[in-house]
Amino acid sequence: MKEKLQKINDFEWLLPKSARKEMKVDGKIIANKAIYDSMENDTIEQLSNVCCLPGIIEPVCALSDAHYGYGLPMGAVMAFDPEDGIISSGCTGFDINCGVNSIRTNLTFKEVNEKLKELVNELFNTIPCGVGSKGKLKLTNDQLDEVLVRGVNWALENGYGTREDIKNTEENGCMEGADPSKVSALAKQRGKPQLGTLGAGNHFLEIQKVSEIFDEKYAKKLGIINKDQVLIMLHCGSRGLGHQVASDYLKIHEQAVKKYKIWLPDNQLVGAPANSQEGQDYFAAMKAAVNYSFTNRFIMTQWIRETFEKVFKKTWQEMDMHTIYALAHNITKKEKHTIDGKKREVYITRKGATRAFPDIPVLLAGSMGTSSYILKGTEIAMQKTFGSSAHGSGRAMSRTQALKQFRGEKISHELLQQKGIITKSPNWESLAEEAPLAYKSSEMVVDSIHGAGISLKVVRVDPMAVCKG
Amino acid sequence: MKYKIIDKVTSDVMLEIYGKSPKELFENAAEALFSIICEVKKVKPLKSKKVILKESNLENLMFFWLQQLIARVDIDEMFFSKFNIEKITKESLTATIYGETITPEKGKTVVKSVTNHNFKVEKTNKGYKATVVLDI
Repeated sequence: MKEKLQKINDFEWLLPKSARKEMKVDGKIIANKAIYDSMENDTIEQLSNVCCLPGIIEPVCALSDAHYGYGLPMGAVMAFDPEDGIISSGCTGFDINCGVNSIRTNLTFKEVNEKLKELVNELFNTIPCGVGSKGKLKLTNDQLDEVLVRGVNWALENGYGTREDIKNTEENGCMEGADPSKVSALAKQRGKPQLGTLGAGNHFLEIQKVSEIFDEKYAKKLGIINKDQVLIMLHCGSRGLGHQVASDYLKIHEQAVKKYKIWLPDNQLVGAPANSQEGQDYFAAMKAAVNYSFTNRFIMTQWIRETFEKVFKKTWQEMDMHTIYALAHNITKKEKHTIDGKKREVYITRKGATRAFPDIPVLLAGSMGTSSYILKGTEIAMQKTFGSSAHGSGRAMSRTQALKQFRGEKISHELLQQKGIITKSPNWESLAEEAPLAYKSSEMVVDSIHGAGISLKVVRVDPMAVCKG
Repeated sequence: MKYKIIDKVTSDVMLEIYGKSPKELFENAAEALFSIICEVKKVKPLKSKKVILKESNLENLMFFWLQQLIARVDIDEMFFSKFNIEKITKESLTATIYGETITPEKGKTVVKSVTNHNFKVEKTNKGYKATVVLDI
């Protein structure tokens, strides 16, 4: 399949629909030469899978961090027609609204570095993480339903966060139309004790320092003024609730595929016609999981602030700890886009992709121990990638390979020694799986998306300490 | 061999699980799953839980067996290490699973779900084989 790619320019590659007879539309890859060279054929094959789906709108985009996933490339954006298209639980994936929050401080590297060990230990004690971690909140069933419907607004009324945090969250932290009655009892049972928990896997809480400012004016708007300023990044999702919603609807959509006679290139890409009961039920349940996840990160943001207050003996307001931006990178949404010169409402699925609307921040999380970036979205992204950009560095090595090659204790030690980064995790294997060398370099990914113009560099941040589940 | 990890899916885990009978296949699949979730060899069979499932065919039964075990980690707040399938047909199973209350030090990674990608249960000349991709 790779031999069928055609170069559009230094950062864009076309997968023409003629590449495979079942393809309904062209695919596109955003990649510089180095990423293009390293992209596996399997990833491109998976891109072509998405191009075969009913009601798909041109083009399906694989972003620069795309890698071989289950059924479709991890790092892709796709648009579906609201009449002829599908809503796909399989394409949206299991970690609904896995996403990132970036929080600023006015503290300097020196100030934080002096207390870094204490800070990391306190954060590790305050933010529940690891497999099966439970939160400190004791929600009733009614309160959980309220979280699912009202998202961060529930948290605000219960003493977490601020209105400004809400303003700086995608969808203002609450998608309209979430319906808890479409969420199974099992999903709620799993999610109820887990609100306010980080989880495990590639999820993390990172203390970072600004290492380079590319766009001073925009950075200033975000409250980032100096190199060496300390920021915090929080990466996690909708926990067991979102996983269960996705698994439940995967099976419902499997039936829908038979009922509506939909041909699929891969069984994981199941979905239901967008205007069908099965499609809309999933959409309402998915929104509930989205709201849960926004709330999860919102609550933890407040606990991070309280931990900083304890360690630095100042109020969080004195430390200027405001949310720079909070966004989702596994989500399906109804959005307006210009298609063939006409403004249309379509369903957009971002699977391992970030929204990149003009002048709105884009957060790109690096792998553990490597740089992350704050960028800004552009008009070009609206034209080329349905207002979307890359979300991370993208794995270059499977978790199994990473486990074989690296031992967590060694990585932790090496990072400590060489870069002065502190890592803390309950289990060494979770560190080994996320070893920086298991990922593409975030620089290459950023070079590609900046070069293609779909998001522009604002600041680069380097890790000082990482807490992982 | 009970199971092996196939190095194919970059971000996730692909497993091949073997068994002479459906009973063995399902028990080995559970062990393979928990080898990803936790330090399964360090988890003691101190408490037990019952699992009863009814599905339309053997493939769905495998999917929901694993899915049920993933959910049980959250619901029962336990890691499991010993699995006894007491009764199994093409459409139903009864099992007792044994484990202990979660301790973070024994946790490895969250398995989000079983995926449909390449999911297969097949009869081979040596018995049964299942191919499973887990989202982690």
